[in-house]
Amino acid sequence: MRTTAAQPAVKLGTAGLVAGREIRERIRGRAFRIATLIGVVAIIAAIVIPTFTSGSKHVQRIGVIGVLSPSVRAQISGAARSAGTPFQFVVRPNRSVADEDLLAGSLDLAVVDSATVLLHKSIGTGDTSTTARLARTVAQILGTDRAAYAAGLTPAQVGALAAARPVPIRGLAPASNHKSVGGAPITGLILVFILLSQYLGWTLVGVMQEKANRVVEVLLATVRPLQLLVGKLLGIGAVVFAQAAVFTAAALIAAEIAGSNVLRSASPAAILSQLVWLVLGYAFYSWLYAAAGSMAERQDQVQTLAIPLTIPMVFGYVVAISAAGSGQASTLLRVLAYLPPTAPFAAPILVALSAMTWWQFVLSIAISVGSTLAVARLAAAVYRRAILRTGRRVRFRELFRSEKVAAHNG
Amino acid sequence: MDAILQIAGLVRRFSGVTALDELSFAVPAGQIVGFLGPNGAGKTTTMRAIFGLTELEAGRVSWRAQPVGPAHRRRFGYMPEERGLYPSMAVADQVSYLGRLHGLSRSAAAEACDRWLTRLDLADRATDKIEALSHGNQQRAQLAAALVHDPELLVLDEPLSGLDPAGIDAIIDVLRERAAAGCCVLLSSHQLDLVEDLCESVVIIDHGRLVSAGSVDELETSGARRLVVRLAGDRDGVWARSLPGVTVSELDRGSVRLLLDDDVDPQAVLAAATSAGPVTHFELVRRRLSEVFREATA
Repeated sequence: MRTTAAQPAVKLGTAGLVAGREIRERIRGRAFRIATLIGVVAIIAAIVIPTFTSGSKHVQRIGVIGVLSPSVRAQISGAARSAGTPFQFVVRPNRSVADEDLLAGSLDLAVVDSATVLLHKSIGTGDTSTTARLARTVAQILGTDRAAYAAGLTPAQVGALAAARPVPIRGLAPASNHKSVGGAPITGLILVFILLSQYLGWTLVGVMQEKANRVVEVLLATVRPLQLLVGKLLGIGAVVFAQAAVFTAAALIAAEIAGSNVLRSASPAAILSQLVWLVLGYAFYSWLYAAAGSMAERQDQVQTLAIPLTIPMVFGYVVAISAAGSGQASTLLRVLAYLPPTAPFAAPILVALSAMTWWQFVLSIAISVGSTLAVARLAAAVYRRAILRTGRRVRFRELFRSEKVAAHNG
Repeated sequence: MDAILQIAGLVRRFSGVTALDELSFAVPAGQIVGFLGPNGAGKTTTMRAIFGLTELEAGRVSWRAQPVGPAHRRRFGYMPEERGLYPSMAVADQVSYLGRLHGLSRSAAAEACDRWLTRLDLADRATDKIEALSHGNQQRAQLAAALVHDPELLVLDEPLSGLDPAGIDAIIDVLRERAAAGCCVLLSSHQLDLVEDLCESVVIIDHGRLVSAGSVDELETSGARRLVVRLAGDRDGVWARSLPGVTVSELDRGSVRLLLDDDVDPQAVLAAATSAGPVTHFELVRRRLSEVFREATA
């Protein structure tokens, strides 16, 4: 029979042992494997399918009003071919017909008297669509032609050709103040929301089940409540980030192999921001979900307890994804980026919109870290007091009535 | 033998109900001690207090004269009344995991797990999930989890409930073996005949208070003297009911169990029985543990 106390190294590793069990059991689970497989397949499909379907490209219809010299047509044809953009010239009798066709969508752009390129909607500097790129090219060619004509094609004027400036590109309707964040940040935001929802649910139900099937009584006979709680959260957290890493790797590899530019719209700062906020979001919410789980013994009880925790998550997500879609960094979004429950969704979108400076980013993180520490302290106290109270759902106000003494484990 | 587990003045109240009321007792090393009491007497609360699983208003639990702390509890084994194992985790994984939480290295935990699963006839179920086991085998797995680190103190809450005779025998063998190795065993049970056979001493509590404690021998030989008398053809023991200082405590298939006041001479009872009919059995017997229990908790 052993008569000596356990070694200190073992004490330090207790939370690690708990985390290790959590990781092993979660990864072994069929639900995890299926969810990961479905996630990888969905991500690969989302990246690869658009690349394949882009083979049947839309033919750009360029309306011609007035004269367009053969040399200009040839230059436009050459530039379009080299860019891989199918197109055709369509003659229109006058400007009003061209305007109607542009508005109706039967023309993509129009050249008016070799002097102006006309579009339905003005293009922003960040617009990389095929029509936008073609319009810029046509404008550049027309500008060069005009410069060459004006220069009389003498050698001295060849230099002027190189410096030719595109002719103005005018829209029939004013440009909207739209600033697209691209597909990657939106995909990232959806992924963060799904991952947090799934794994915080694991935390909630996992803690409740340990209490319901009384495993926790056996565990707490030798492990301190904080060690058990920290180990559990670390274990599930490790699984979250492992799965996020698998999804990210699948996305990058698929994009590379398929030659997709879906991820090119995301700056490294935006991707890093998303990962940082996944960590911070999990850290903040996991404590709350664990505390809620410790107060319940049945599935219906955890659902009731989870509702107030889910509301700020959903609210932050909805506001953030709306902002990402509209390209507008609203005041509400800016406020939510500093509130720890909503910052994991709002802040990365602000970064993707280039609407957050580095110090604002750091301030938001600092607020979140500070709040997480406070929440962890409160949640650990709730967990310690509630996890061994069985028989009915524990009420929050019951937990802090009076602190008993003596043989308490915590 | 010196007591190494000391329970001193434990007080615990739940919403105005006193579960433990200045409860004190001691458990010696190398003994199997029965912890008895009616339902709600405070047995489980006491056991949980040993492991720091309930908050106490007052009192102290000591191990080898030191207040029990986390380091001590690593060397204790616990089997709660409401069994606690992960239903979807494999038996061996679970037992090894608990061994590691008690401070064993990975290899030592694996070795101890193999040893205990073999000892408890669970080796062929090592990779099965707990939820796939029968009640009896789940009970064995729970015991293996409590024993995997060779604890110095084993606290078992109703370890024999719901087991078939073979299961009971297997667990009793293990407990005797552990006690012989110097382990201190405290177990609660309502199966008093088993406790009587298994335990050297008992602690009986009621309403959170100690009502009786001592060795089984001492308790059974104390109290009123008992006679078991059988008369040929007698089924109801009417002959004994009118004897002064004699109380009929039990009738069992023609045998009458009698309690004698201090001033009653057993020979006078024998004479009365003989005059009532042919006496086929006459024996001065000890108190049974069930009688000790009933009288203590009446």
